[in-house]
Amino acid sequence: MNSLIALEKVSKFYRRGSEEVHALDGVTLEIAEGDLIAICGPSGSGKTTLLNIAGCMDHASNGVVRIRGEQVERGSERRLAEIRQSLIGFVFQQFFLIPTLTVEENVELPLLFSHRKADRARTAELLESVGLSHRRRHLPNQLSGGEMQRVAVARSLVNDPKVILADEPTGNLDSRNSNAVVGLFESLNRKGIAIVLVTHNPDLAARCRKVVHLEDGKVVG
Amino acid sequence: MKLVKLAFNNIRRTPVRAVLTAASVLIAAATLSVVLSLDRGYSRAVKRELVDKTGVHLYVTKENCPIEAASVVAQGGLSPLYVEQSLVAAAEATAGIAAVLPFQLFAETTSDGTRTDIFMGVTEAIRKVRPDWVIEKGGWFENGDSVILGAQIAQIELAKVGDRLYSEKLNKEFKVSGILRKSYSQDDGIIFMPLDTAQRLVKREGRLSAIAVKLADVSRIQDVTTLLRGRISQDYSVIGAKELSEGVLGFFAATRMIMFVMVGVAFGVSVFGIVNTMLMVVMERRREIAYLKCVGARREDVLRLITLETLIICLLGGLGGVLAGVFITPMAGSLLRGTLVGYVPAGSIATPSAGVALFSLLVAVGTGVICALYPAWKAASIVPMEVLRNE
Repeated sequence: MNSLIALEKVSKFYRRGSEEVHALDGVTLEIAEGDLIAICGPSGSGKTTLLNIAGCMDHASNGVVRIRGEQVERGSERRLAEIRQSLIGFVFQQFFLIPTLTVEENVELPLLFSHRKADRARTAELLESVGLSHRRRHLPNQLSGGEMQRVAVARSLVNDPKVILADEPTGNLDSRNSNAVVGLFESLNRKGIAIVLVTHNPDLAARCRKVVHLEDGKVVG
Repeated sequence: MKLVKLAFNNIRRTPVRAVLTAASVLIAAATLSVVLSLDRGYSRAVKRELVDKTGVHLYVTKENCPIEAASVVAQGGLSPLYVEQSLVAAAEATAGIAAVLPFQLFAETTSDGTRTDIFMGVTEAIRKVRPDWVIEKGGWFENGDSVILGAQIAQIELAKVGDRLYSEKLNKEFKVSGILRKSYSQDDGIIFMPLDTAQRLVKREGRLSAIAVKLADVSRIQDVTTLLRGRISQDYSVIGAKELSEGVLGFFAATRMIMFVMVGVAFGVSVFGIVNTMLMVVMERRREIAYLKCVGARREDVLRLITLETLIICLLGGLGGVLAGVFITPMAGSLLRGTLVGYVPAGSIATPSAGVALFSLLVAVGTGVICALYPAWKAASIVPMEVLRNE
């Protein structure tokens, strides 16, 4: 399968006060088309840092990051933004829905920055795929936590990404809604979209084809 | 989805804060609009009254002091300076002069201090010098005790031709021989009397407040001024009506400065309000802005969004301020007329105009752009990873 994102011996250091934190230490990881990967590990093991570097939201201190074979250079913020718009969808534990926008407007929000025209039929299709067609005119405060996360998933799909990076997507959900959201990711994966989930939840990790264990910034399994 | 719609939606999230910030812009824009209207309106009204409407081109006054002359002519005060009546003949003999009006101005305040009457002693030359000085009812002075009333003073006194008026301060009774047509100038509030009567009442026989001169050809004003100066003693001065109006506006300078300081304070408060509000907005929405960057928002997108939000608030506040200015300006004009300036021309001294409104709006919006810069830069500088990791 074609490689989408490749991390080669990636390290990340940053300062927190007087302390230097080694968030990642020589991590090598490849995300290919159709992958379903879980990244697990205790708090502070570097899971979110790994996701952010893979998602071109942060630069590695050392090592190489390639997106579809193209090496990501430091300082090219515009290029990173283009990569995020065209290739990657993000889902976070906090849903980050804009409270004054309707469900369909929230889903269309990323198009504003990729300068693509909103297509209501396409939005309707995405909402249909997450089971929220009937909620398209609702505001976020009229939705349950599970519904909000499904809106966030629909929003991550609006730019037709090849990979979705999800940071603790079920962290704020009860088990029923967690199952619904994971089911949604599995369904998207079956359509060929690579899914990378950061999770503490072993049941969720068990449903993924590949599990990466991190500890102290290193891949341990 | 348009960026403008997103900006509007973001503003709606904290409506009270947005309204309060817009209100500070409204106050600043309204203050600017009112002050500019007053400043422009007053200057124009003074020029209109002293230069355009009087028909007087030159004044002969004592010493070279236009402000003193303005005080004499405009405020009706009895200046310690005076002009000898013998100069009238010298002026009349000067080539290029169409008419010469010697006059004596004085004012009397009632003993309770509530009212000041302005008296002006004139000769028949006033008809030639002042084309808008027209007797509408009655006629010229019948004798030394006759007076001709300005339209407004006649209205206040409910006086008719033939009525008798008693001046407590002068301890004299006058008979109304005529009433002037309303001219919307200072004349409307003046009581005119024969020149020698006025001179006798203020014990200045043979002396004048000043001499008003009308030229046959205004384009020759420089030549005539030089000729006239050559004919009179150097103790006297020949002043153009334009210099006179500038002298009156000199009185207004301090009031003007206070008004513009008020504008500065209003805008200063507004600037702090806007910057504070927008910085709070950015601080509160750091995670959301970080998320927008995750989904592809670039630095310039975030800059545009925050600037747009600030601009919308400032535009709404500015529009409100300009509208408020239109309503407040006439009231401010009345206040200025009553309390702030010594010389008050007739007619409107504060007229709102489209130019002032547009300028005030542009200043409000421009202030918004400047105020948006720092918060927008702070927002655009958010590194998504740092925010999402640390917060």
